[in-house]
Amino acid sequence: MVKKILITLLFSTVAQAEEPSLLLQQNCLKCHSKQKIPSELLYRRYLMKFSTKERIKKSLLSYLKNPKKENSIMPQQFFLKFPPKEALDLNETVLEKSVEAYLDYFDVKKQLELEK
Amino acid sequence: MLSSEKRSLVRFLAIYLSSTFILFALGSYIFYNFQKHQIIDNQNGELQLEANKIAQRLRELHLTFNKPLLYPNDPSFNSAIYDLDKGYIFGSFNPKNIKWNKEFYKDREKLFYLHTLKPYYLGASYLLVSKNFDPEPLNELVDILIVFLIVAGVIFTILGLFLGRLFTAPMRESMEIMNRFIEDTTHELNTPISTILTNIELLDTLYSCEGQKEMRRIEMASKTLSRLYEDLTFLKLNHNYHRVIERLNISELLEDRIEFFQTLIEAKNIKIIKDITPNIIVEMDRNDAIRLLDNLFSNAIKYNHKSGKLEITLTAKQLEVQNEGDGIKREDIALIQKRFKRANSSEGGFGIGLDIIAQVVKRYNFLFTIDSDTNQPTKVTIKW
Repeated sequence: MVKKILITLLFSTVAQAEEPSLLLQQNCLKCHSKQKIPSELLYRRYLMKFSTKERIKKSLLSYLKNPKKENSIMPQQFFLKFPPKEALDLNETVLEKSVEAYLDYFDVKKQLELEK
Repeated sequence: MLSSEKRSLVRFLAIYLSSTFILFALGSYIFYNFQKHQIIDNQNGELQLEANKIAQRLRELHLTFNKPLLYPNDPSFNSAIYDLDKGYIFGSFNPKNIKWNKEFYKDREKLFYLHTLKPYYLGASYLLVSKNFDPEPLNELVDILIVFLIVAGVIFTILGLFLGRLFTAPMRESMEIMNRFIEDTTHELNTPISTILTNIELLDTLYSCEGQKEMRRIEMASKTLSRLYEDLTFLKLNHNYHRVIERLNISELLEDRIEFFQTLIEAKNIKIIKDITPNIIVEMDRNDAIRLLDNLFSNAIKYNHKSGKLEITLTAKQLEVQNEGDGIKREDIALIQKRFKRANSSEGGFGIGLDIIAQVVKRYNFLFTIDSDTNQPTKVTIKW
């Protein structure tokens, strides 16, 4: 229950009214929230490096399939606090869908508004 | 102003002003283009400044990521951000046909600036900023150039007139000296010629002189001199002479002038063939008509062969004078209408006859044609 509240609090400002999908919740955010891994920071880092959704997706999949420091774009200090995990026991399709859900959830296009 | 001087001045001014105009127009065109690029560059500078502001704001938004991400919106500009694959992310506009290979470009009345970004804050790799082109500085430039061209045109026209008159001054002086000489000479000739002609008439009337042949020769020579005097006076006074336009019986005048030339006609044994319609009326000055007819006949007689034919035909619409001489080359016909030009130097004269005819014809809007060729009869036609 507490976990749910925390997740809700964490993403209520991020996604405004949008809720994370079940797939994303189960495969990504559940663990990220538990270990306090900043998902949004990761997204921003990948966005600044790869610019497009397709390129980010490709890089993320590559890392998730083989989670090593050298496959990540995060700085070395990041891994001191958040060491690389084991590769997820997910099949290719589920992994891909989870990444897509992640990118959709944080998609910058949805966050942008024109200044009044 | 003399017509030859006027002609020279007009030619000089035409060449001088047209070359000056071309030079100034070319200069103005180059200057206009240079300034136009400067104006566009200045406005492009504003786009660059705005792009830098937006880029800075994108960086702030990316670092803070405070929701909602408020994209900067200046009403004077339009802007949009694109990802690395040129996909649209967000913006205040979404234009079509973006020229990705150009940093600055103009499409219709809009200026565009494509700013590349790195790192890709908010995923933006390209920032397109646009504003309406402000045509006011360009319009001001066109106004300035028009005023400049007008002022320069006026100044250079005045300068051209001054220079032209300066250059034609020696020619004008020479012509004036010649005209004064003719005027003085004719004035001095008038009295003795009149005296000779009057006394020949008196001798004819009062006494039966034995030397009739010699008397005719004196009369002929005196009449030639008299006509020359009249022609020169006509040319000298042509512009200031007060004309009395009247309904002139040209048929009677024609007979009268043929009679005047009778002595010359007989001397060359010329056969006159007349076909004169009686009582033809033409509205013109009597003296102009006399000068016209006298010069026609004088030339027709002078350039006729001895014992040749002279055909004079007068109808309600035209007068034709045809002689049998050596003819005039086709290419010389236009030339001989100018003053002092003669196609044939075999006979004496100043070459002013056809010029006088042309001047009278022009004044009354008559049509004047010469039909001739080498060794062909010459036919002069005047239509009114």
